[in-house]
Amino acid sequence: MNIEKELKNIILSQDQTIDTDDFINNLHAERKRRFAKNIGFLNGVSAAVFLTIFGFASMSQLTDDFTVYASNDLQPLEVMDSETEAYVYDIASYLVDTSDDIWETIIFLDEIQYEPVIAMNNRGVE
Amino acid sequence: MRTDEELIKEFQNGSEEAFNELVKRHLPDTYGFFIKFTSDPIEAEDLAQDVFIKMYKALKKFKFQSKFKTYLYRANINMSNTYFKRNKWRNLLHLDQAPEPIYMDTSNEDEWKRNELWNAVSKLPSRQRMVVTMRISDEMPYKDIAKLMGISENSAKVNYHHAVKTLKNQLEN
Repeated sequence: MNIEKELKNIILSQDQTIDTDDFINNLHAERKRRFAKNIGFLNGVSAAVFLTIFGFASMSQLTDDFTVYASNDLQPLEVMDSETEAYVYDIASYLVDTSDDIWETIIFLDEIQYEPVIAMNNRGVE
Repeated sequence: MRTDEELIKEFQNGSEEAFNELVKRHLPDTYGFFIKFTSDPIEAEDLAQDVFIKMYKALKKFKFQSKFKTYLYRANINMSNTYFKRNKWRNLLHLDQAPEPIYMDTSNEDEWKRNELWNAVSKLPSRQRMVVTMRISDEMPYKDIAKLMGISENSAKVNYHHAVKTLKNQLEN
């Protein structure tokens, strides 16, 4: 079997015509389709990279100190002596009872600085 | 008539018409090259399309260190290598679907023979496959093959000799 001859015969038997204009139109259509696909892919990757970096940066800024995220209003109450605590509750119930606007009183109680109250009460006791 | 190099320069300056002219000029050779392997006009057109899409990107940075025809031919060879590799896997994956030779219609004998031969070519080592491809499909002299592949002329001859011997053994078995 003459392989070279066989190969040549087979190759020569091929039809070699093609419509050039159609080919060029298809070529540019396919090129644009691939380009759009690549752009979509790159946008997706860029968004993923941005979100990863942004997410990591945000996470790294979080702190273990919970007081940054939550109110520590109750902390002063914990250091009050029982006498001051009773005094604070008395004042609070007096204010609530005599208030015309309960919400205004609640906001006042929420915003109250307990340290001066404790100091004031301690001075009174002394 | 503008030369290939002039057309590439125009394309690099933004003329799509120049690129189309290049495609028109080299499509018959490129398509002819691929149809020899595939014996399928659609597949040959797809391969030619892939090559010219790559050319569209590559020519924007073309530095005129080689002739465009050589550059394109090398791209064709690389694409045919990709085709061979893809076909190898396709054949492996569809082995159970391959028709038995005994049931083949004699009118399809050429087609069958061609497929057998290209399947055998696809199993050759990369360098031998490239030499056979260039030598047989384009009747290229060893000197040109050696130049294109960056090997010596004798090495090209030895590769071709080995390839033909292997093909002969495979087909006779």
